[in-house]
Amino acid sequence: MWKAIIYKEWIKIRWTAAIFLALGILVLVNILLRIRHDILFVDAINYWYNILFRGYNYASMLKFIPFLAGLGIAVAQYFPETVNRRIKLTFHLPVKENRVLMGMHLFGTGSLLLIYAIWLILFVIISTVFFPPEIMHSTLITLIPWFMGGLATYFMAALILLEPVWLFRVLYALVAYGFIAMFYQRAGLTAYLPALPELAVLTVLSSIVVLFSGYRFRKGEM
Amino acid sequence: MMVKISRYILVIIGILAASVALPELYWTIFEQVPRTPNVYYSCTLNDFIMLRSGDNGIIRHDTKGNTYTLDEFEQHLPMMFFRQLMTDGTMPDSIHGVEMDPTAINKARSYFRYTTKDMLSPRPRLWPMFESESGRVNLAMPDDYFRITTKIEFIDAATNKVNQEKSAKFTRALEEHDFAFPARLIAGIPTTRKSCDEGYFVKDSRGDLFHVKMIKGEPYVARIDIPDPMDILHIECVDLRSKEFYCYLFTRHSGVFVVMEGVYHLQRLPVEGFDPFQHEMKINCDMFNKTFAMEGEDFLKVVAVDDMYEVVDTYEETWDGIFERPDGKMFASIFPFELELRTARTGFVNFYFTRSPGFTWLLVNLVFVGLAVWLILRRKGNLLKNIPDLLIVLVTGVFGFIGTQVFPNKFYD
Repeated sequence: MWKAIIYKEWIKIRWTAAIFLALGILVLVNILLRIRHDILFVDAINYWYNILFRGYNYASMLKFIPFLAGLGIAVAQYFPETVNRRIKLTFHLPVKENRVLMGMHLFGTGSLLLIYAIWLILFVIISTVFFPPEIMHSTLITLIPWFMGGLATYFMAALILLEPVWLFRVLYALVAYGFIAMFYQRAGLTAYLPALPELAVLTVLSSIVVLFSGYRFRKGEM
Repeated sequence: MMVKISRYILVIIGILAASVALPELYWTIFEQVPRTPNVYYSCTLNDFIMLRSGDNGIIRHDTKGNTYTLDEFEQHLPMMFFRQLMTDGTMPDSIHGVEMDPTAINKARSYFRYTTKDMLSPRPRLWPMFESESGRVNLAMPDDYFRITTKIEFIDAATNKVNQEKSAKFTRALEEHDFAFPARLIAGIPTTRKSCDEGYFVKDSRGDLFHVKMIKGEPYVARIDIPDPMDILHIECVDLRSKEFYCYLFTRHSGVFVVMEGVYHLQRLPVEGFDPFQHEMKINCDMFNKTFAMEGEDFLKVVAVDDMYEVVDTYEETWDGIFERPDGKMFASIFPFELELRTARTGFVNFYFTRSPGFTWLLVNLVFVGLAVWLILRRKGNLLKNIPDLLIVLVTGVFGFIGTQVFPNKFYD
């Protein structure tokens, strides 16, 4: 039965996941081409200078891509479940309701993590070709909150989509906005370094919040 | 059980989001910034002159209460406004027996500003080593950047590879001066737009200070004697026309120093009470005097010294701190605390938590507890089951109220 559940989740998100994976790769290819182009024009020494002393982030195009992917996958996965309250069928399966929901959620999270991992590996490869570890690290530290923010977006979007009462959806969205904004503050390269542990804890904690609206959904909260 | 835990996680997230957003909104609407004066030392009056913007425009006055017009103000600060005074023909021929020569005046003038953000910001870990005696007039950007980890390494930017030969040569030079790798702090002026290159000031892992530069392709290393233990926190290099000193040293235990050019003598600045983690400093230098203006959240202290760094006068002014002003008092009675991700004080993002002083906010918290009780009773809820929620509201006030109401405590048995 788990196989069937996973298959159902796969059918729901496969196109969205593929599109976002491709979008991210396109953005990374664009970043690669731009680095190459700019280095040809201004020389590597000056390009590095802009990163080191002017805070230029060569991966800034990537900023909201993890956010969009998290949102997109949450919508693809949970929106169909809310149409005609279809998720009720899933909750009637002979598996504990929380467990089935966490199973779905884990699949979505896993897919998102896989996409992020592919992007990050590509990013590291591109960076190591052109830059020393110092530059790669400082840019990576700048990117990591964006990726954690993408995960948090997925978790909060699932919470909002499964919430049965519209008023609460709006209220959750306001809180989610404040929460997600913590990951996307405008800040210089490496500036997020001291906040990373706290943000990581919050991201992990937020992974189970979908249970709350799932509970309200199946208890028929109106 | 898991559902209840997930609710508390949401309540925490709600509290965090509210404690960032609401105080931010509050300050945007109500914050009043105290108007602090600009303080100058007049070499003709031998007194401070303050430039203060008030409701009735700009006021210029000295410590004795005399007020000055713009023209008088400029005439009493001839080092600052010498170009204007020369145009007006009111520049004195000599001051304190020194002939007034525009070149000399200009050479002695410098301005420097330190903010806590200068120190508390991410620092680059790669630096360009300029050729400091190329024989050319203009400085040129090198082809590589250096790092100082277990050794000093030069990385060629075009190939992204370490230049082994040059790295080994500089590493040897540092080792000969008993440099303890890795570097804890590297400071220099990494630009070609300066009058000349003086390389870098580097603090090693033992806390000792070194001057490192490149002369005709060869390493130049000098160890600088520092009175220990001073724990250098921050170094700010300057490019003075007067070539009086290389850099400012901000230390944890011993105050602020300048490192004199050539001789590497450390001159301590008479800036008692200055805390580089809290205060800002503006330094104005001219032929006769230097002024060090330290500014904190609720005070301004200006020390004027002569050209031998002897204190000639000090000026102090205090005002109400943020939580003594009406806007801050009102804040402290509404909100129990504030969370910020970015502050003006640092360049780092973090969770900056500020507790409101006093306990007047407890009253407002109690009002919110009452409100929560009323809402629970109206829903015919069980008060006992809401005790954790009420405690959260008691401690976190409006933030907890929002958190617990947005994510309702409604569970079915």
